[in-house]
Amino acid sequence: MSVENPVPPDPADALAAVAALRRLADQIEDAAVEQAMRTGWSWPQVAEALGVTRQAVHKKHAKRLIAAGVELRRR
Amino acid sequence: MSAVDRMIQAIIERGADEALADGSAAIEAHHLLLAIAAHPEGGARQVLTSAGLDRRSIRAALDREFEHSLAAAGVSSAAFGLPRPSRGPDRPGQLGASARLALERGFATAARKKDLRPAHLLLGILQAQAGTVPRALALAGVDRDGLTTRVRAALTGEDRAS
Repeated sequence: MSVENPVPPDPADALAAVAALRRLADQIEDAAVEQAMRTGWSWPQVAEALGVTRQAVHKKHAKRLIAAGVELRRR
Repeated sequence: MSAVDRMIQAIIERGADEALADGSAAIEAHHLLLAIAAHPEGGARQVLTSAGLDRRSIRAALDREFEHSLAAAGVSSAAFGLPRPSRGPDRPGQLGASARLALERGFATAARKKDLRPAHLLLGILQAQAGTVPRALALAGVDRDGLTTRVRAALTGEDRAS
């Protein structure tokens, strides 16, 4: 049993928190993948770290990173 | 393409610019709100301005809503010190669920499609009871019902003038 007994949040706040956390997770993913690729990580490494397929991470980020001039390792 | 289609396209394209700047994969209702606040034609922008809402203050209200909602989960966006990610080369072309709903509701407020004006789309956005836009406006101290009434009054005035 927890010592504290917090008041459960209003459902509106809880649902808005979910939406905001998803947005923040997307922003952090964009920043973290870019930083990793700039420091020489490969697509398979980034994919494995994120727990998604290489195709998924490539599809989501390749175009943006190429446009930003990031040198991408093929393997 | 009709004038109404051009107006809708202009607002959606401006919304896509806002979505791209936001790093969002889809255009959402709050991007359309920012687009309407910057749209030069029709009375929607004037009504927003008279309520103290220009593009910049809406952007500030949205940022505040984001931080407020994160705080409910004990999180701050500033806690993660990564550099800002680069933006993609293309504007997102996809409408998100909130934007689709706002447009549907907005279209439904006009009697005929050819009567549709930015203020109708604004009404569609303001009708949402939950989500980012009503929360951001509430946090900014905006009376959404009062604003809706003013938008309807502006539309009636435009009808009389035309």
